[in-house]
Amino acid sequence: MTPEPNGASGSGTTREEATVKVPAKDPKKKDEKKDDDLSDEDLALKQQLELYVERVQDADPGLQKAALESMRQEIRTSTSSMTSVPKPLKFLRPHYGTLKAYYETMGDSDLKKYLADILSVLALTMSAEGERESLKYRLLGSEGDIGSWGHEYVRNLAGEIAQEYAKRQSEEAGIDDLMELVQQIVAFHMKHNAEPEAVDLLMEVEDLDLLIEHVDNTNFKRTCLYLTSAAKYLPGPDDLLVLDIAYMIDIKFEEYANALQIALYLDNLQYVKQVFTACDDVLRKKQFCYILGRQGITFELDEEMCADDEERYAMQDIINNAKLSEGYLALARDIEVMEAKSPEDIYKAHLLDGRASAGASVDSARQNLAATFVNAFVNAGFGQDKLMTVPSDAATGGSSGNWLFKNKEHGKASAAASLGMILLWDVDSGLAQIDKYFHSNDNYVIAGALLGVGIVNCSVKNDCDPALALLADYVDKEDPFIRIGAIMGLGVAYAGAQNEQIRGKLMPILSDSKTPLDVVAFTAISLGLIYVGSCNEEVAQAIIFALMDRSEAELQDPLTKFLPLGLGLLYLGKQESVEATAEVSKTFNEKIRKYCDMTLLSCAYAGTGNVLKVQNLLGNCAQHLEKGENYQGPAVLGIAMVSMAEELGLDMAIRTLEHLLQYGEQNIRRSVPLALALLCISNPKVNVMDTLSRLSHDTDSEVASAAIISLGLIGAGTNNARIAGMLRNLSSYYYKDATLLFCVRLAQGLVHLGKGLLTLNPYHSDRFLLSPVALAGLVTFLHACLEMKAMVLGRYHIVLYFLVLAMQPRMLMTVDENLKPLSVPVRVGQAVDVVGQAGRPKTITGFQTHSTPVLLAAGDRAELATEKYIPLSPILEGFVILKENPDYQEES
Amino acid sequence: MLTVSVKWQKKVLEKVEVDTTQPPYVFKCQLFDLTGVPPERQKIMVKGGLLKDDADWTAIGVKQGQRLMMMGTADEIVKAPEKGPVFVEDLPEEEQVAAVGHTAGLLNLGNTCYMNSTVQCLHSVPELKSALLKYPSERRNEVDQTSHMLTAATRELFNELDKSVKAVAPMQFWMVLRKKYPQFGQMHNGYFMQQDAEECWTQLLYTLSQSLRGSSSGTSENADALKDVFGIELLSRVHCQESGEESSETESVYSLKCHISHEVNHMHEGLKHGLKSELEKASPALGRSAIFLKESRINALPRYLTVQFVRFFWKRESNQKAKILRKVDYPLELDVYDLCSEDLRKKLEAPRKLLRDEEGKKLGLKGKEKADSKDTDVKMTDAEGSSTASGESSKAATLSDGAPSDKEAQLTGVYELVSVLTHKGRSADSGHYVAWVKQENGKWIEFDDDSPIPQREEDIVKLSGGGDWHMAYICMYKARTVPM
Repeated sequence: MTPEPNGASGSGTTREEATVKVPAKDPKKKDEKKDDDLSDEDLALKQQLELYVERVQDADPGLQKAALESMRQEIRTSTSSMTSVPKPLKFLRPHYGTLKAYYETMGDSDLKKYLADILSVLALTMSAEGERESLKYRLLGSEGDIGSWGHEYVRNLAGEIAQEYAKRQSEEAGIDDLMELVQQIVAFHMKHNAEPEAVDLLMEVEDLDLLIEHVDNTNFKRTCLYLTSAAKYLPGPDDLLVLDIAYMIDIKFEEYANALQIALYLDNLQYVKQVFTACDDVLRKKQFCYILGRQGITFELDEEMCADDEERYAMQDIINNAKLSEGYLALARDIEVMEAKSPEDIYKAHLLDGRASAGASVDSARQNLAATFVNAFVNAGFGQDKLMTVPSDAATGGSSGNWLFKNKEHGKASAAASLGMILLWDVDSGLAQIDKYFHSNDNYVIAGALLGVGIVNCSVKNDCDPALALLADYVDKEDPFIRIGAIMGLGVAYAGAQNEQIRGKLMPILSDSKTPLDVVAFTAISLGLIYVGSCNEEVAQAIIFALMDRSEAELQDPLTKFLPLGLGLLYLGKQESVEATAEVSKTFNEKIRKYCDMTLLSCAYAGTGNVLKVQNLLGNCAQHLEKGENYQGPAVLGIAMVSMAEELGLDMAIRTLEHLLQYGEQNIRRSVPLALALLCISNPKVNVMDTLSRLSHDTDSEVASAAIISLGLIGAGTNNARIAGMLRNLSSYYYKDATLLFCVRLAQGLVHLGKGLLTLNPYHSDRFLLSPVALAGLVTFLHACLEMKAMVLGRYHIVLYFLVLAMQPRMLMTVDENLKPLSVPVRVGQAVDVVGQAGRPKTITGFQTHSTPVLLAAGDRAELATEKYIPLSPILEGFVILKENPDYQEES
Repeated sequence: MLTVSVKWQKKVLEKVEVDTTQPPYVFKCQLFDLTGVPPERQKIMVKGGLLKDDADWTAIGVKQGQRLMMMGTADEIVKAPEKGPVFVEDLPEEEQVAAVGHTAGLLNLGNTCYMNSTVQCLHSVPELKSALLKYPSERRNEVDQTSHMLTAATRELFNELDKSVKAVAPMQFWMVLRKKYPQFGQMHNGYFMQQDAEECWTQLLYTLSQSLRGSSSGTSENADALKDVFGIELLSRVHCQESGEESSETESVYSLKCHISHEVNHMHEGLKHGLKSELEKASPALGRSAIFLKESRINALPRYLTVQFVRFFWKRESNQKAKILRKVDYPLELDVYDLCSEDLRKKLEAPRKLLRDEEGKKLGLKGKEKADSKDTDVKMTDAEGSSTASGESSKAATLSDGAPSDKEAQLTGVYELVSVLTHKGRSADSGHYVAWVKQENGKWIEFDDDSPIPQREEDIVKLSGGGDWHMAYICMYKARTVPM
């Protein structure tokens, strides 16, 4: 029991003796026993301190000063370690009230300030919650070196400053004295490996700029790491501010690669430019180009960024992903998966008991179409397969022409386009092989060829703009399917390019009242893709007008849903910028109004992790639908789109979706699997896998088909044996149901996407950056899956090719200074979150050592296992340039 | 003169001269020389546009050293094959059957699973189908009205099953069946009762054999079409131990009975049991009735051997046909050699040797060993059987001599399982009947009323009883023949 010091100080300000004795004696009686436990040393210390306290109240200033000095000495020497309350502080506790009271009586002097210092420290343990006395006495004190009182004191002070700051902000009082303290505290923290504390304090007092003065070579990395990680959890616009600071620090310390990533996160091309101009190392700039290429944005280098023409062309080539195909094939050769696989190799029907393979002596158009897609997915980017690219003069009858014509009507379009997928990124040979289809007299084949050209050029840019040159003329052709092929081809090839010329071509289609609905729908999507996240007013206007022109009947058509989506894509991740358009959407026909609203909201806040928006969307899912309404599908997808930003929110969203599954109505249950797929894309979490596996046997066939496709999506490009097994069993379970079997086949193809070398995850660079183009592709496909019957299972299965926008090799390819592949040992293991941890913790765990190129699974991180080279990118993903370490010495 | 480089496929054609005074067609002809791609198939891309044949070079603004891209191949243009493939989805319904790989199911019309499974089993016999096809639509005098109707209805039903993809409702057939055999129309609580499938099977086959007899316009060999297919000729020796009297008789049956007693674990044992019976009849020697022992041997084999497990017996106390749940294994391949009479054995010897050789060839050395062991097996049973069978050998020989020996396919006494009719439940008049039929493509299908379900062969032999799962009630075996 300790006596209330404040109570004592109130009663006796005049009678010093009494005030000293009363509180001092009281505890003494009670502490009699305790005193016995004290060692001799402690007892001596205690008596010593009591003596000091008395001396402090002595009339003689000299004595006072000596006492204060000694007291200070005692406290300082003991606060260095902070496992428990330091002894001097403990023994001084009973005297806190005394000293406080005495302080009030003192006249202004240096001594008074000295005493204030000591009171400030004592308040650390004594002050009641919310009193902020430590801060109060600190401000009254001598303003000496803050760190001399120990770390805990500073931390406590920082906390009180934050509270005080908030209070003063509300009272609009001055904060200068506080800021001075903040300066000191930040300096102290930054010097003592407590960057997170410093950043936290500065965020509380809203003055992050201060940070820049205090970072130095030793701590800027940890500071930036903390800033960038914290940004995900901050509400706007604080997050942007924090990233801004991180960017500036990175620039200051020439950590350009990090700065570039922040610039890309902010989607600030000005910053990107700045990084290029600030850096003068050509090799590092090339590394930047690789990062830009992975992000998939269109960026033109100019002379200011790179003076040398030759180098600039080389760098532009990297940004344009011109060598992506080469690198991918090098990886494939290294892993020895070059040999083409046939759909049968994927189905593995021999592992099943006789069930699945019963019969089938006649070709089924459905199953052939499935085989076409499986073949395209599995052999994506390899340039060879067993159906489409086999030489046409082969006498076996398996020639490409023949397989093409084993598909029916619109199936032929998908088959022709699949050639584009097989030759993905390889523009030169891709165009040469697709060329032959251009001369076909079958409109579906031509449409497929057009789309194929678009797919080949996806995420690869070329000076000659072959896709535009080839497709432009077909956009206005007579046949609607040819038009769709050309339009979608343009959308896929120029996603994110914001190409004016294409806009000029496509916008008139929207405003032409004679255009068939399906063409309008695909035009809207293509425009949305090309101008993804640009907030382009004119495109938005055009789509809005097209939407308003639709008749009541047309609004019911599943295809019409593409119009709001196209509009939404324009604002992908742009948050508040959507508001004006969202306002306009309120004037739409009520049939589409709510749908449009949800789509816009979910797109605008995609990848932000904004909890309020998730709540809003959840609220909409809780409504009971009037007949004919259908806005809950995009709302459920929206939950996933918004919360996919970071791990915590993602896990919460998965749990929330489980609840929706139990309590939601049928239309919600149909979209939940798709939302789960987006959350775990190419990252098969076991709990999600189980949920989807359960749903894949659902009695509602739409739930089941969505769950099956979702199983494919979460396992996309992983070759996950468990999912593959599940799907195999499903294929025998649904052997009679042609529709569901089709879905199972698609999913099987997806799981073995690129024979396991590809990923669909739009997040990259340690899950920090989100590729808007990739996300747009995924979202478009998922929205199409909301209308499974009309789209994927109907005439418009070409929507499956939107996935190509998200396809990227999940590799680490190290290259030397001449950009030639270089094999070095790397450790690959599970990534560990090291944000805010002291020292230099290991960033990966459970690692294995491989030599590059290697595959990286979801959640994997790599680090070099040799000192011989220095990587030019802090994150080892995709293409990384290695520089020889000049300090390296061969071990002998 | 301007020079540009042209990228074509993986090649780069460096320093191609452009005469800007000539139309681009001339340039394309230049490229034709270099690449072999005819000008009309060249697509030359200049900064987001195609180079038109009659365009103006100056308007395009080609610069010195600019890189152009050309697309086009001299490859053959893909042409649609003259005859496009036929897709299942486009086929009329009846043709989709072949694609599905099995025939349709039969709808349950209310406790008619006994009938459905019987029909499915019989439907799998092509010989029966072809015999039915020959059956005339007009009734012949020797066939009574109801039999004719039932036969015709069977034919129609088989036809329908072959054509349809979706499950068939055997309405007509059922009505006629009830008319012919009113016992199948028993009602209980306003519903038709479950019946014994074996009874249905026997009656149906009997009717069919009656009406198909000599139906095919009097040709002698086809006089009794079904007897050839299903009929088993038994040669029995009736022996009275008391008096030492002995007589022999022949009879023709449509199925072998597999009796189930405590010693029987395997169908073969049950069959042996079934061929021995005791009967009481008047003995002329003793002048009173005495116990006679009847021992039968197979004297002529059918192409389809039907084996019925005698699983049901009349249980007086519960007043119903109770079921023996005992597990009795049955093989996928059945050899009835040791159940045959001496004459038949002799006749079978040559085809069997041929079959063994063939198998041995197929299986290599391993097969040979197996055949050898089988051989010794047979010899042992031979030795056993010879003592009892020797008596009537001479008589049997004369009988079987009449059998036509000019056929190409010779029976071997070896049979393979083609269909199983199973029952699940505790008595013949309750529970559920299901047919498991081997299709022409070798796959097994479980016909559970309207839903055909593919099954694995190894699961078929697991229907041997010993629990509450489906257990075989009637097995049908198809003869393994060798051409001679």
